[in-house]
Amino acid sequence: MGRTSAQGRTNDVRVHRTKAGLTQAELAASCGVARQTVVAVEAGDYAPSVYLALDLARHLATTVEALFDGQHAPLATPGGPS
Amino acid sequence: MNRSDPLVSFARLVGDFGNPFYDEERQRDVWNEASAFGFQLVLWCSLLASTVLVWAVGAPALPYAMGLVVLVGTASLLTLGYAQRLGVALDTPRMTWRRMAPLLLLVLALSGGLMHASIPGDDFSSGFGQGMAVGGLGALLALGLATRRRRQS
Repeated sequence: MGRTSAQGRTNDVRVHRTKAGLTQAELAASCGVARQTVVAVEAGDYAPSVYLALDLARHLATTVEALFDGQHAPLATPGGPS
Repeated sequence: MNRSDPLVSFARLVGDFGNPFYDEERQRDVWNEASAFGFQLVLWCSLLASTVLVWAVGAPALPYAMGLVVLVGTASLLTLGYAQRLGVALDTPRMTWRRMAPLLLLVLALSGGLMHASIPGDDFSSGFGQGMAVGGLGALLALGLATRRRRQS
């Protein structure tokens, strides 16, 4: 694993993407990255830059902390505060 | 950081850093790692090939072996120079012995080979070979002293 890896840290990108009803390809396209990048981020193989993290959070209508803080807090109920 | 530095401008031109390929961040990071791998591979293979050449062929191989060393040496210096211009210095003394030992052995073997192959002749390449061998041993000594100083501080 190279230095670009997230070194095994997990995240909630997949959970939030599924909740948003987006495919990996759709999320990648809206963030301007390759689908493989989203795959790698979700798998914890790649730590995104702060700009990509912000983009991901924006397109998933959530925060960077909710995606990457590693707490795996339960998702907000639909209609609740984001 | 000085992006208008001639070396930085030259590196940007040669490396084609403005290519849209580098826009995608993971693609860029992975490519950078792949390039580092390729560079290290060329460096090691060149040093190994030079060492084998001078020991196996002797004096006739001196110009080729030295040419290889000069080529990879220049590329290495430019690489270090570019990184330094952008505020990243290679902290050699922090390298582990496990990582350094093979390199030290290889430089020792190459310096010895250059000296061995240079002795019979008194032409330019022989003198150059002897100088390079002494330079290689000097570099090893400097590296050892720097490592010792780092550990003492």
